[in-house]
Amino acid sequence: MNDLLWPALALLPLLVTTLALAVADRTSSPPSEPLVRGLSVGSALLSAVGVVGTVLTGTGVDVVWIPALGVDLDLRADGISTPLVLLTAGVGIVATALRHTRPPVDRTEEDRTAPLVGQHGVPGLAAYHACLQLVLLGALVTFLSRDAIVFFVGFELVLLPMWLLVARHGDAHEAARRDGAALRFVLVTATGSTLMLLGILALSTLTGTTDVDRWAELAGASLSGREQLLVAVLLLVGLGLKVPVWPLHTWLPWVHSTAPTAGSVLLAAVLLKMGTYGIVRLVVPVVPEGFATASPVLAGLAVTGIVWAGLACLVERDLKRLIAWSSIAHLGFVVLALATGTETGLQAALFGNVAHGVIAALLFVVVGALKERWGSADLTVARAALREVTPRLGFALVVGMAASMGLPGLAGFWGELGAVYAAWAPAEDRTEGWFRLFAVVAAVGAVIAAAYAVRVLREVWAGDRLLPAIPDSHRVEGVLIGVLVVAVLVLGVYPSLLLDVTAADAAALLTGGVR
Amino acid sequence: MSLDLNLVALLPVLAPAVAAVLVLVLDIAWPPARATHLVVVGLGLLGGAVATVPGLLQGRGERVAALCLPDGTCLYQASSLTSGLQLLALLSGVVVLVLAWDDWSHGEGGRTAVIAALVLGATAGVVAVPAAGDLGTLLVALELATLPTAALVALERRASRQPAAVDGAVALLTTSLVSFALLALGAALWVVATGTAVLSGDAVAVAAADPARLSLLTLAAVLALAGMAFKVSAVPFHAWTPLTYHGAPLPVTTYLATVSKVAALGGVVVIVTALSGASGTSLLAVAVMAALSMTVGNAVALVQTDTVRLLAWSTVAQGGWVLLPLADLSSRGTRAAGGYLAVYAVATLLAFVVVVAVGARRGVLLTDHRGLLRDSPLLGLPLAFALLALAGLPPAVVGLVAKVVALRPVAGDGTWWLAVVAALNVALGIAVYLRWLRVLAQHPEPVDALAAAEAEAQTRSTAHTAVPARHTALIAVLTTLLVAGSVAPVGIF
Repeated sequence: MNDLLWPALALLPLLVTTLALAVADRTSSPPSEPLVRGLSVGSALLSAVGVVGTVLTGTGVDVVWIPALGVDLDLRADGISTPLVLLTAGVGIVATALRHTRPPVDRTEEDRTAPLVGQHGVPGLAAYHACLQLVLLGALVTFLSRDAIVFFVGFELVLLPMWLLVARHGDAHEAARRDGAALRFVLVTATGSTLMLLGILALSTLTGTTDVDRWAELAGASLSGREQLLVAVLLLVGLGLKVPVWPLHTWLPWVHSTAPTAGSVLLAAVLLKMGTYGIVRLVVPVVPEGFATASPVLAGLAVTGIVWAGLACLVERDLKRLIAWSSIAHLGFVVLALATGTETGLQAALFGNVAHGVIAALLFVVVGALKERWGSADLTVARAALREVTPRLGFALVVGMAASMGLPGLAGFWGELGAVYAAWAPAEDRTEGWFRLFAVVAAVGAVIAAAYAVRVLREVWAGDRLLPAIPDSHRVEGVLIGVLVVAVLVLGVYPSLLLDVTAADAAALLTGGVR
Repeated sequence: MSLDLNLVALLPVLAPAVAAVLVLVLDIAWPPARATHLVVVGLGLLGGAVATVPGLLQGRGERVAALCLPDGTCLYQASSLTSGLQLLALLSGVVVLVLAWDDWSHGEGGRTAVIAALVLGATAGVVAVPAAGDLGTLLVALELATLPTAALVALERRASRQPAAVDGAVALLTTSLVSFALLALGAALWVVATGTAVLSGDAVAVAAADPARLSLLTLAAVLALAGMAFKVSAVPFHAWTPLTYHGAPLPVTTYLATVSKVAALGGVVVIVTALSGASGTSLLAVAVMAALSMTVGNAVALVQTDTVRLLAWSTVAQGGWVLLPLADLSSRGTRAAGGYLAVYAVATLLAFVVVVAVGARRGVLLTDHRGLLRDSPLLGLPLAFALLALAGLPPAVVGLVAKVVALRPVAGDGTWWLAVVAALNVALGIAVYLRWLRVLAQHPEPVDALAAAEAEAQTRSTAHTAVPARHTALIAVLTTLLVAGSVAPVGIF
């Protein structure tokens, strides 16, 4: 029983709060904003305590769930998933604590007579927080699960709440745009995850189990080379849509530019990581030969994405879309690192995952706050220089962009350096020439990153315009931004904190079998 | 020639059949009876449902047999899967009965008695189909399951809707007759190929060993499946579906979309089980029908503006999903199809019950559902859950697991083109149901003063504004089933 305590504490508050808020929103007098937000943050905090407990005690759940399919509800954290569940818990607190204030602008046309909920908040705020909780629950289930089918269920669990978040609470300007972005997100992800499911089902038929640890032990021994390649391609295409890997990335900037701030934070910091985590769990150790065959192509697409997204960042006019493009570039580094098949690469990828999670969360919080104050995130509109009018937000933006360009001493550096280094010296079964070329291209991509970071800072941070004045970060926002800035600095200065956690399991994944 | 009857085993079929006779006798003895007829229907269906329990409890490979010939072959045999399908059909029949209670207990003359007898007769046929052990039983049971439904469609009470209902009935009747011809041809070829009318795996295996007879057998199987495909509304035998669904009274549409599908799947399972005697065969015809049904059904459902038509096309698409695992021709495939059908039936029943309940108050157009989640969450939330189950999206995990189960045989045996078509259809299906969900989640209709007064007047004029208690009860039971299945998907698959 004692074993169940921590995992239950990690998951149940989210589930209970989701249900409570979803029901509360249906009542004729929805609860007030402080109550809803308090409940939501409280549940995220409680869940975070549960996550930390689960990680520290190493406890887990293991019960049979669907006997007909041989599926176990097997939830545990190991070195690979620990950083990601901690990231999810932390980002969850940030996302729930962020204040969601703007009532949709198109509200006037749509429901003139709907009861005004007053100054306190947005209609459907309880449902909005219920969606956040459900996204966190899905993410935690995905990262904790050791059963591929449960992993898939967690993967799908985030779709509906994200759809609601974007469609109901997204960018206030155009209802049609919100609907389009939300639907595009759901359809692309559902296609990806179903392709992934086909790979999982093929593996389960060929190996007779859906236990990912067992798959890692078998290391594809019972599969022919052709089967390995087929499964690897199915899984990579499916997960590549989620990551997203170039050229499957087209949905991401659109969704990011319309999602509410908390939605963007969760999407960039947590949901995209499901894709890379899926590659680490389901592809790298499970079908090593197939992955080795596919990896030059994968790495090629990754570096293309790095350069492509970097160039897009140089000309993008919407600041939120720009950050979304930069996410594609950063995840390109992560995928490149994975494709090298070395321990360095795997470590760099796992580090890059978390680093990008923290940096993206910071940038989206700051940019979301700016967009709220500016009314849009259009860079072509002349605005007051952040350095002058909002020094705190301005500083946070500088830290975020600097980390994003991979400056040493900040979180972004180690993941990207590691990726380029690993690509220069890939595993023995990879074609060295190609990977060296990719390393060079990736390095060029890093230079482009510096260029667009400087462009952003020049356009919104530097300058001497003082009008139109906007307020600086208020209390909660300031604290959240502060915590994220500290996290970026700590990860940059003391990377071993994270690398030590993942080292043993990363090595074990590549040599076949578990620790 | 002696026949071992074993009437106890036949009870799932006999109970509704005997009840049908009882209803007719009762109608002669006591013509003014109305509700009594429907009570007899309920008892007949529930009696049959109880009688399936022994069959459900048997292990894999065991069979409840009846009508056995001296040489040991039985014309009626029920495995646990068969019993499960029978139970599903009978309980779905009960749901339809409760849904239609008001409609069916009104009308002049012997309308109630006729409807009661038709429903019982059709259901008896549906229950007999999956247990058929020979071609004769299969053909008779399938016709018994189909012909009464054509009459049910035509028996529309409201005069304004009668032309559409008759159109629907004619479409159903025509398609079913043409299909029956195909099926009969298939059956005849089957007898030629295997030398027996009994559906036995051994005879099939012997026939499959001879190349000449194998091609004949394949042709027979394709024709027989084509003959049954119309009942699943599989493309290209689907054309009657939107016409009939839209024309028929809503409870009858619900019957067609759920109970009748059991007969269809039951028939296909019987043929497929017999064919699996010939190892290493797979039927491209099933795969093609499954792929076409999903794609066409989803694509057309995507542009519907009427909830009933949308559900009609959605059943076409879902029919494809039911057929999907059968392309594999294995026992795993038939169980997967049965499990998927169970989830589909419960979710579709729930959706129809809500559509009927909302239809009585607002209408059946998609726009009539606007803001339902906020206006009447007790209708909106169950409907949303049912749609999510049909789409296969969590939190309706049961629908997702059903999709996993249906895809497993296909991904397992490596029919990749079919698997990829199915995967793309998952996304297409989600688009179909999210379109409806979006309407449900929208803010309620903007009501200016004039429209508000009008709506209020309308409210006063219609007596049935409150949801009837029996609808609420049905919604509660069906929602509970779906939620329980989502928490612990045990025993369905």
